[in-house]
Amino acid sequence: MTPSHESLQLWPAAVSATATETDLLILAFTVLTLLLTVPVFVAITYFAVRYREGSEANRSPSGIRSNLIEISWMLIPFLLTLIFFVWGAKLFIQSKNAPPDAMVVEAVGRQWMWKFQHPTGQSEINNLHLPIGQPIRLHIISQDVIHALYLPAVRMQVAALPDRYTDLWFKADKTGTYHLYCSEYCGTDHSVMGGEVTFMNPGDYQDWLTHAGAQQGKVAAGRALYEAYGCAGCHEPGSAVKAPSLAGLYGSQVKLADGRTVTADDGWLREKILNPNGDRLADGYKQIMPSFAGRIPADELGTLIDFLKSYSRPAAGKAADATPAGATR
Amino acid sequence: MSEPLAQGVGVARAEHFESVAQQRQAATLGIWAWLITELLLFSALFLVALITRIQHPEATVAAAKHLKFWIGATNTVVLICSSLTMSMAIEFSRMGWQRAMVRAMLATAALGGLFLVLKGYEYYADWDEHMMPFLSHRPFALAETPAARLFVNLYYVATLLHALHLFTGIGLLLGMTWMAAKAGFLARHQNWIEVYGLYWHFIDLVWILAFPILYVVNR
Amino acid sequence: MSASGSIGGTARREPHTPESTIGRKPDYLHAESTLRSWFLATDHKRIAILYLASITGFFVIGALAAGVVRLALIVPNGAIMTNDTYNKAFTIHGVVMVWFFLIPSIPATFGNFLIPLMIGARDLAFPKLNLTSWYVFMAGALFTLVSVVLGGVDTGWTFYAPLSTAFSNTWVLPALIGVTIVGFSSILTGLNFVVTIHTMRAPGMTWFKLPIFVWTHYATSLIFLLATPVITTALILLIAERAFHIGVFDPAYGGDPVLFQHLFWFYSHPAVYIMVLPGMGVISEIVPAFAQKKLFGYRFVAYASIGLASVTFFVWGHHMFVNGQSDLASLVFSALSFAVAVPSAVKVYNWTATIHKGSLRLDTPMLYAMGYIGLFVLGGLTGLYLATLAINQHIHATYFVVAHFHYIMVGGTVLAFLGGLHFWWPKFTGRMYSEPWGRISALLIFLGFNVTFFPQFILGYLGMPRRYATYPAEFQLLNVLSSAGATILAAGYIFPMLYLVYSLWFGRKAPANPWNAKGLEWETASPPPTHNFLSPPEVPRVPYDYPIQAQEARDQHG
Repeated sequence: MTPSHESLQLWPAAVSATATETDLLILAFTVLTLLLTVPVFVAITYFAVRYREGSEANRSPSGIRSNLIEISWMLIPFLLTLIFFVWGAKLFIQSKNAPPDAMVVEAVGRQWMWKFQHPTGQSEINNLHLPIGQPIRLHIISQDVIHALYLPAVRMQVAALPDRYTDLWFKADKTGTYHLYCSEYCGTDHSVMGGEVTFMNPGDYQDWLTHAGAQQGKVAAGRALYEAYGCAGCHEPGSAVKAPSLAGLYGSQVKLADGRTVTADDGWLREKILNPNGDRLADGYKQIMPSFAGRIPADELGTLIDFLKSYSRPAAGKAADATPAGATR
Repeated sequence: MSEPLAQGVGVARAEHFESVAQQRQAATLGIWAWLITELLLFSALFLVALITRIQHPEATVAAAKHLKFWIGATNTVVLICSSLTMSMAIEFSRMGWQRAMVRAMLATAALGGLFLVLKGYEYYADWDEHMMPFLSHRPFALAETPAARLFVNLYYVATLLHALHLFTGIGLLLGMTWMAAKAGFLARHQNWIEVYGLYWHFIDLVWILAFPILYVVNR
Repeated sequence: MSASGSIGGTARREPHTPESTIGRKPDYLHAESTLRSWFLATDHKRIAILYLASITGFFVIGALAAGVVRLALIVPNGAIMTNDTYNKAFTIHGVVMVWFFLIPSIPATFGNFLIPLMIGARDLAFPKLNLTSWYVFMAGALFTLVSVVLGGVDTGWTFYAPLSTAFSNTWVLPALIGVTIVGFSSILTGLNFVVTIHTMRAPGMTWFKLPIFVWTHYATSLIFLLATPVITTALILLIAERAFHIGVFDPAYGGDPVLFQHLFWFYSHPAVYIMVLPGMGVISEIVPAFAQKKLFGYRFVAYASIGLASVTFFVWGHHMFVNGQSDLASLVFSALSFAVAVPSAVKVYNWTATIHKGSLRLDTPMLYAMGYIGLFVLGGLTGLYLATLAINQHIHATYFVVAHFHYIMVGGTVLAFLGGLHFWWPKFTGRMYSEPWGRISALLIFLGFNVTFFPQFILGYLGMPRRYATYPAEFQLLNVLSSAGATILAAGYIFPMLYLVYSLWFGRKAPANPWNAKGLEWETASPPPTHNFLSPPEVPRVPYDYPIQAQEARDQHG
């Protein structure tokens, strides 16, 4: 399942009770807004016609007590809007206090990807699979700048700060796949820092954790790393920097600049990524790739190489299509 | 301005003012408004220093131990004395004693200079003790307590900003002394001395706030 | 009816002595014509013209950057430019528009030109300081432009740490230094206005005879004086953090990145009222003039200006509801933000009531004023949506916010600026602009603005985050609509630049008071002579002494 791609959508999907109530709140507020503003707009238009220069109109003072009218049009709208302050505050406080039995998912933001870890240990990059019918608390932190995790389908977002944890909790009651964004501007690839959140029936979720999640999740995670670390920026066909395509590279014979030929296996790829010096340069290319030693943790390097294993030539076209819009720019 | 002025002392009216009284009122209000903005500038900085102190008490105290308390205290006295000489200059200007006024202004500038010299020596001593964490090539004495680094850096931002104000102040004061030594100055621009005096007292006041906030409360 | 302005301090003055020699002096534009006489001008009117020329230049730069942003967003996948280029474009747009156009726009041009005229003074209290503030402004602008020319900045106009201090590889330092310097220009302008309004009023011009324009500028100047120093400190710390890594916004050294947000918004929320209040002042002059009727509830509007300027200091936290702020703080800031709506509402209802039973002429300035009222109301009320905690959790940092503040700043400040520019153009230049072209552009701008920004409310509620170089395909239609609107808006902006400049040479000569408006600025020639009034102006019994009076003057007496 992917998010709906209708060309014009006028109301976002809501998957939790809080989201539905937020919608109700904003609709009610809009009704009040219209009550307060439409008379002003109508009055301005009417007066503009009725009292235009030279028109026959009664312009004698109307005898309105101005102090009374001033105070009433100050206080009545204010008191009416206060209803919405109270309603909004109540909903907000509810959404801040997670029930103790909530399932805790760890979320780590960094330029430019999200990493989620399920309580059972499985982790995902940029995408998130969650069960419905159960309170879920996201426990969020950032590794570098300030990010924010935003899930429009539950009408919530919260900042990911570098120095302390923040929480976001909700209970989804509808299955489906929705957007997941970073909503605090965080640099170059801010707009691609995100993916999809999939709400599943608890049974499907367990199934996903044990089967698909482990496998499918791993390749998708590797793909996300391939983009997050900027590999795609040079190695993807059509990119501005001319670097060899990595599709189908795994297991093939590579001719090097110094005339040797090597097999692109796990060990060689690992070395190449961590220390891409002249000895390992492919024939016909310039040495411009930066070293990733110290920049990429060991577990993520493994995931990335797993992705490269699966990144075969025939699948390349399909994989590119599945790329989130803009990731390859 | 209610203070009585001596004969031959006063203010020449600028073209766009209606009266001298209006001109003096504008000058006084103007300098007070400026000083309020300056005070807010420093207040925000002191507030950040106090927040650091509340959040990291041990590290702040450890760092503040390295500050040269006695140089700070001496400098406080030096600046209070300079405020005194500045007040004397204002008083002399009202009485029309031009030579005495010029001497009091020079004394004020000299005391300001003494403050800067002492402050400079203090910075040198800090450098010597490896207390300049913002220098990337020089190791920091308290490297094991990160928040100490923050406090010491805030100390530099605050004191350098104050020293910049004092330096500018001395420059302005010397320029004005040079003009004030000429004949007829007091008949035309007596209020310059009054207005400038407020600025000098303000520089003093900032230090009187900075000294306890940086040196004393953290001891 | 009695003089409603009997309270309020009257400054003690010496008896006024008119100048003995009043010759036929040329107006301020023709008094001297050398370049030197312009660049060393101390006449508040000439400095206002210097500001007008400079901020128009910045408006063009900011608008071009906006054009780049709207161009990029025509396609969802970022195919038109790289993410970095897009990020730099929206940063330049924000930095230039906020710091170099919106903040100085009305105060530094109209305020500078009109405050002395409106209070019957010959100049601002400190003419040389006024010129200095223009040079300081230009120095700050130069630094910012240098950063743009060298390759741009990509932090957004908010410069949030630690992105701006440790992670961005762009020219952040010159931009920060530029913005810091510009703050001093604001402080000097605000100081000059406060002192001028306090001490330079003509004999008989009591506080409650001052036009609302002067009241709102007084309130704005207080914000300049009390808020700008705090952003200066914040920016100095940010500069030190980036250049020397002092640690104040770095958690690794016990600092706190959110502290920057507090210091930043402590200034930048009041700064919204620096942009909005002068616009309200302009509208409060235009509406009575074109209704030929006294402003309804003069005192309430005056008090509301001061009220807005005060409350605005206590609402900064509403920018941080989702940034880990304590729930209690969020509740308090939310409640106070609702309170801000009260004085704003007063003004809107009062302008409407002023039109009631007036004698209306729908010339260009009035069209802008009516557009302003409509857009400002929408912008203000959507601000209340954002102040509502539960709604904020959803639409914070989305296009809803973008639409909201453009309704306030373009729909509010820019329309007021253009309305005021047309209203006082005869006074500034001594020439009349082309009325038909004026009306056409006013309508184009209103239409273009709404087509550009209304779809963004929907985009925001659908969940499109702001500052996105690429976006999901389902948002494309609304984005294309928004970009199409931007082209209409651009046309609406280009027309006035052409016909106003044309009028400088070929426009009809303007009489002293083309609108039959009240206010001391209309008592002197168009353009005014160097010292504003050839003979001391006579202060009217009541402010807004228009033929049609409301009931309230009687009310207040009886």
